[in-house]
Order: sequence, then structure tokens, then C-alpha cells
Amino acid sequence: MSPVSWLSSHLGLPDWLLRPILAPLVYPGLLAFMPVALFIIWAERKVTARVQMRVGPLYVSRRLGGVLQLLADGVRIAFQEVIVPETAEKYSFMLAPIAAFSLVAATFTVVPGGPGVYGFDSNISLLIAYALISLSPIVTVVMGWASNNKFSQIGAGREIIVSIAGEVTLLASLLAAAMMYGSMSFNAIVEAQNDAGIPGIVANPVAALLFFIAVLLITDRVPFDLVLGEQEIVQGPYTEYTGILFALTMALDYAKLYVLMLMFTNVFLGGWMPFNTPLIGSLCVFTKTLVLMLISVFLRSVYGRMRLDQVAYLFWARLLPLALAAFSLSAVMHFLYR
Amino acid sequence: MKNRLRSHVDALATAVSRLTKSPMTFFYPDYEEDKPYGYRGVILYSNEKCIGCSLCAQICPARALKMYRVPGDKRLRPGYDLGRCIFCGLCTDICPTDALELSSVHDKVFDSLESMVMDPVDWTLWSRKVRGEEMARGRKMRVWIDEDKGLRYEEVR
Repeated sequence: MSPVSWLSSHLGLPDWLLRPILAPLVYPGLLAFMPVALFIIWAERKVTARVQMRVGPLYVSRRLGGVLQLLADGVRIAFQEVIVPETAEKYSFMLAPIAAFSLVAATFTVVPGGPGVYGFDSNISLLIAYALISLSPIVTVVMGWASNNKFSQIGAGREIIVSIAGEVTLLASLLAAAMMYGSMSFNAIVEAQNDAGIPGIVANPVAALLFFIAVLLITDRVPFDLVLGEQEIVQGPYTEYTGILFALTMALDYAKLYVLMLMFTNVFLGGWMPFNTPLIGSLCVFTKTLVLMLISVFLRSVYGRMRLDQVAYLFWARLLPLALAAFSLSAVMHFLYR
Repeated sequence: MKNRLRSHVDALATAVSRLTKSPMTFFYPDYEEDKPYGYRGVILYSNEKCIGCSLCAQICPARALKMYRVPGDKRLRPGYDLGRCIFCGLCTDICPTDALELSSVHDKVFDSLESMVMDPVDWTLWSRKVRGEEMARGRKMRVWIDEDKGLRYEEVR
């Protein structure tokens, strides 16, 4: 008996109604996301410090290596005043971060976090997740425009160019994977990998690489963080935000990273592949996602920022032809998952 | 193409190998770098040595020193604006009675900009406080040039 059906029998609610509420709120959604964000941001700062031969955050909870630093920052930010600039468009300025974060949080309903742990299953859940993720850059552009600040507007302009380039590559790699498995449902994809015993990254490494690089671009990770571009345009579209709204904009990128890496785990790493019970399977998915996130934040200490034209060239002229190669590879590898 | 791939691998390998090395910084408030001879920190004032010649205020290039009239005193006495001081040490050189001296401290915190402007009485009291702290500071670290890391810190005994 799964935890969801146990809860539904106690609350007297039907299963299908409880799942889409629990998935975005508990696991793999926001409740699981909080410690992940806490840990990942700490790890990012600590690893970068280590590579640069520094100590990194340490003052808050010295015995734990400063892991509670972000909690302290969060408390400070939560009690900070939210300042709305006089020239800003008040309502879109205040509502845009909330809308963007809700869109990303809604994605958790379709992405499974373990065997039988999902909001709802559909034949096109891959496309639904992709559509929700790719809606949030539009809201980011609204943020940049509503702030009425030159840095925000430059950042919003960059977001347009960058997100189109990234999402085409992301969609191409996802469609290549869907073609290989012959399905667009996450559960069916993981089951196909389970039955064949081969994770997708082995069968189609090109699509996996494309997906990973596109995720780095979409979530503003370091070689492609030119939307934020701290040294050039302060904080990009998020420049004017303070207090809890700033925390939301910051959490937005990490939530996107979390949900996209969850998708990577399901599509290319076989999800809960060696295990099949809900609890251990979920832990397996969670661990794989965390390791992927650690790899992507580790890149911050290795690379510098690429220029806008270099990024556009890389994605349109180098990675898009590779996507065609991924498609042809999928057509060949399709026999594995029949 | 091959070279590009290799440079990516090199960069990643360098970062991974750096992960295993210990940091080259030290815990700043607990440990303190051993200051070299002639280090120019904040300027301290001793009231009893001062003869009120106002040479220090004349030579100060940043106009951080200014002569004040103190009640109950015939002569003018120097006051100190720490916000303006550039720690050049000219005042300590020119002082005929060594009433001004350089300390090895530079990390002092103030509540407000106004509290950084000290009249002679404030400055005397503050200097006494800093002298006492200087004696009681934490463990000193000496810096060495290291082939591996660049810098290495070692405790001075």
C-alpha cells in the first residue's frame, strides 16, 4: 500500500485529487526542494571556495561547516522590507516573481520523483513539463520590463535571446529521447529503460549532453550566466528586487535546475532504475538528481562567462546540428526499447 | 577541435585536483597576520608627551589632523579624523616628542561617520583602549612563500 493511498483513505479524498496536490507541495516538490536548495547553494559556495583555496562560508554553524549560512541569509531576507521603485509598474513588478515560481512549481505535478510518486500521468507529460518550464522566461521578461531599470531591461533582452536558443536545443534533445523510447510519458520512459536494462545516457549520449548544456543555459549556470551577469548588469532582470521577492527570484533558478535535473534523471539515467519500491526508488531518484546538480554547480569554479554572441553561435550553429545527430542516433537505437 | 576538448579536460582536472588541497587563507579574527617592522596602522596619541606645536596638523596631507582648543588647556591639541587618514605616517615622523605613534592595527569598526572624528580627549582615551587591545590580540601567523600554493601561514611562537 503506497503512502498516497493510505493518506487518501484516511482523508476520504480520491487518489487522483490528492496526487496533484501532494506532488508539487511535498515530494518531488517544494518541501523536498527546500533542503536541496539549502544544500546546493552551500555546496556551490564551498566547492568554489575550495577550488580557489579559500575556506568559504563558516561563521554560522561552524561545526557543520557553515551549512546553515543560507538559512541565516533567508531569515534576514524574509524580514527585509520589500521596496517597489516609484517608476516601476507596481502590480506586474510584485506578481511576476510569484507567477514565475508558481509556474516552475507546477512542473512538479508531471515529473515523477519515484516509482508511483507523481502528480498525474499523461501521454504527453514530457511536453507539459517542457511547456511549463519554457513559460517562465516570459515572466522573467515581464520582471525586467516592470522594473523600469536599464540593467533589468538589458537582462530581459538577454533572457529573450538566450532562452529561445536554449529551449530549442532542450526540446530537440527531449524529442530525440521520446523518439528513442517511443513514448512521451515519464513513467513509460523509465519503465522502458528498466525493461531494457540500459539507461538512456548510454544509448544516446549526444541527446544527454545537449540536454545538460541546455539546462545550464536555461538555469543561468556558469558558463552561460549572462542573464544575471553580476559584473556587467548587477543582477539582470532581478536587479530591483528586495526582500522576499528577491528570495523568490533567486530560488526560481534553483527550482528550475532541480526540476530539469529531475527530468534528466528520469529520461536519461533510468529514474529509479535498480530499485522498484516507492521509498528506495524515490531516494535513488533524489540522489541522482542531487549529484547532477552538484556537477552543474561545480562548473562555476571552472569556467568563465561566455559572450552573448558566442552563446548564440554555440547553440544555433554547433549544438543544433548535433541535435540532428541525436535524432538519427535515436532512430537507430529505437530497437533497444521496443 | 582536439585542442579545445583537451583544454576543457585540463580545466576540469585542475579544478578537481585543487579540491583536495587545503585552503591557503587563515581564520581572520582568531588568527592575525604578524605585521612586518614599520607597518603603518592607525595613529595613536599620548596626551602627556604632546607639547602642542601643531606640526602634525601642518604636515598632514589628508587634513585628518586638526588642532582643537581643549577647555582648561592653554595650548592647542590635535584631533584625529580616522575617515580621512591615509596612514602615511608623516605626522609620527615630524612629531618632536613622539607623542604620535603608529600602531599595527587597522581593522577598527565605528558606529557612524561622526564617531570617526575624534577630538583630543576622545583620541587619548581611544588610543589607550587600542594599546591595551594590541597586547591582548589572538595568535599571530607568519606568512611564507610556498611553491605549491603561493602562500602558507605558520603560527609564530
